[in-house]
Amino acid sequence: MSSSHETVATPETFTIPVGPLHVALEEPMYFKIDVSGETVNAVDINAGHVHRGIEYLTTKRTIFQNVILTERICSLCSNSHPESFAMAAETIAGLEVPERALYLRVIAGEVKRLASNLFNVAILAHLVGYETLFMHVMEVREIAQDIKESVFGNRMDLGAMCIGGVRYDVDDEIATLLTRELDRIEPEVDRIIDTYRTNGSILGRTRGVGVLKREDALACGVVGPVARASGIDYDVRMVAPYAAYDRLPMTVHTLVDGDVWSRAMIRLAEAKTAIELIRACLRDLPGGPTHLDDRPDIPRGEAIAKVEAPRGELVYYLKTNDNPEPERVKWRVPTFMNWDALKYMLTGAKIADIAIIVNSIDPCVSCTER
Amino acid sequence: MTNQLALLAAVFVFPGGLFALLFGLALKGADRRVAARLQGRVGPPLAQPFFDLVKLGFKRTMVPATSAGQTLFLGAPLVGVVAMLVAAALVPIAGVYAPQPILGNLLVLLYLLMVPGVVLMVAGSASGSPYGSIGFSREMALMLAYEGPLVLVVAAVALRTGWGMGGTVTFSLSEIVEYQRTHGAFLLDPVMWPAVAAFVFFYPANLGIVPFDIPEAETEVLEGPLLEYSGPALGLFKVMSALKAVVVLGLGLALFFPVAPNGIFGLVFWLVEMLVLMILGVTVVRVSVGRMRIDQAFAFFLKWPLLFAAASLAVVAVVG
Repeated sequence: MSSSHETVATPETFTIPVGPLHVALEEPMYFKIDVSGETVNAVDINAGHVHRGIEYLTTKRTIFQNVILTERICSLCSNSHPESFAMAAETIAGLEVPERALYLRVIAGEVKRLASNLFNVAILAHLVGYETLFMHVMEVREIAQDIKESVFGNRMDLGAMCIGGVRYDVDDEIATLLTRELDRIEPEVDRIIDTYRTNGSILGRTRGVGVLKREDALACGVVGPVARASGIDYDVRMVAPYAAYDRLPMTVHTLVDGDVWSRAMIRLAEAKTAIELIRACLRDLPGGPTHLDDRPDIPRGEAIAKVEAPRGELVYYLKTNDNPEPERVKWRVPTFMNWDALKYMLTGAKIADIAIIVNSIDPCVSCTER
Repeated sequence: MTNQLALLAAVFVFPGGLFALLFGLALKGADRRVAARLQGRVGPPLAQPFFDLVKLGFKRTMVPATSAGQTLFLGAPLVGVVAMLVAAALVPIAGVYAPQPILGNLLVLLYLLMVPGVVLMVAGSASGSPYGSIGFSREMALMLAYEGPLVLVVAAVALRTGWGMGGTVTFSLSEIVEYQRTHGAFLLDPVMWPAVAAFVFFYPANLGIVPFDIPEAETEVLEGPLLEYSGPALGLFKVMSALKAVVVLGLGLALFFPVAPNGIFGLVFWLVEMLVLMILGVTVVRVSVGRMRIDQAFAFFLKWPLLFAAASLAVVAVVG
């Protein structure tokens, strides 16, 4: 912690521990918070409670096994990790991924984004004590879970990615099912957006709370919905299109207020966009194979690949040598960039808002601490 | 001698004590069940609060090393339960039970109703937990906010009854109930409507439910004052809270709608009224909104409830 945040202990100030285990945190993370009365003076973030050594483990597995391993880094971004890992490997090997596979990658990614964003917005309602709304949003998210289970066979880890393509296909039956379920979830998402835009309980607790100004956002280098809610027009799908995003009607949503509410609204808007993207993919889905015929050789080399995970930009660095195992794999997850900004958001906040603000960056601790 | 026995029975068996406890737990069970149904869940069995209490009874009570001492830490919930036992015996049930004057009147009941809040504050600070301290300050702020309007409402009722009976003011709960049974319930009296409106806000605040569950907010301060409590000591808080639900709901009925037939039908009628009041005044409220921040709640109480309460007193004073 920098010295500027140190406070002199007076009778009015005291330190409260938020975490490592706290009902409001989905995953272990430790915030040491100095408060005076109900107001936060300084925050010290301490991480490392669930370090599992996965980065090291990737160098002990073959590149193909690592597609499976990276999927298990985190459940909510479980599609983005193997996708960017596969993209890095494909760059090294100079592989041409079949056109159909690119569209299928978008479908898998957007289904995950839809469920992940609804999940975060539901938790927001839970944190402001609005259990009914929480239950409702989770019920709507269940439609997305049904889609995952029916199309991919799993509710969280889709197992959709492989190097050189995807491991699933969409036939007529699945396309019909997807269309039907999307028709079911879309009006519900619209209604949720309406609720978050107008409900007094939500607005009263989230407007003007945890504000991250554009300058601070740029200084911290925040990514994903956190950046876009602070007016930074940055989305990997737009600035460095991968998969089939350059051929799809992408919209990047931005808001300027940079508060908790803006971040929630960005997530909801992106959930809506995700539905449109899946629809567009189903409409334009080209024929052809979904993956390469043979398991490709990955030669010596290094590459960087990045995708837009539900939480923001996810960067993978892969270095291979002549062994089947990679020499080094390194990834930078969106939460790593975003949680530094928490210090800006939390300073001057009320104790009651700590959990709401922390949740608003949608922290994924298992990604960050791998 | 019989008088003393009747007093003891009122405090420990009916309408206070055992009866109030079981009924309070049943009300809480109904509240949880209905809330679950409104949220699209199945919900726990009706007897869940009772099961919880029994389970807590078999557990150990841990006293944290940081606490301010065993006496204060364990004494606080006991004081709360005793206060609520007496308070439950003070609440009249129209046509069934009228409290003996020796137990006290409406003013005593008002003081007793503040005890659970004070007990939570003492418990919170005695636990030595920073979350308890936050709960303490929030509880205090909330009490300051809602006690003012409550006193004004009670004054309005006392004034209306007292003048109606040709005197000045009366704080006797039996007389307030009797007056309404002969002259019509205050709920149906337009002069008293501002008072009713102000009193409605008192329910969620005093019972500590959303939107005013701020001192114990689970996702913010992890149950605040109750965080360090476990086993039978936590059970005592549950007993206190169940008794308080009966007292607070019963007070509302006594003040504004003590209409019921005599005898056993009166009791059944009262039980049904209490259940309806619990569901409309507590369950529906808490599933419909989110939690306020303490500053928002404070500002809220200084606006609408205080306005209604002040208006009610003014209207009663003018109309006579």
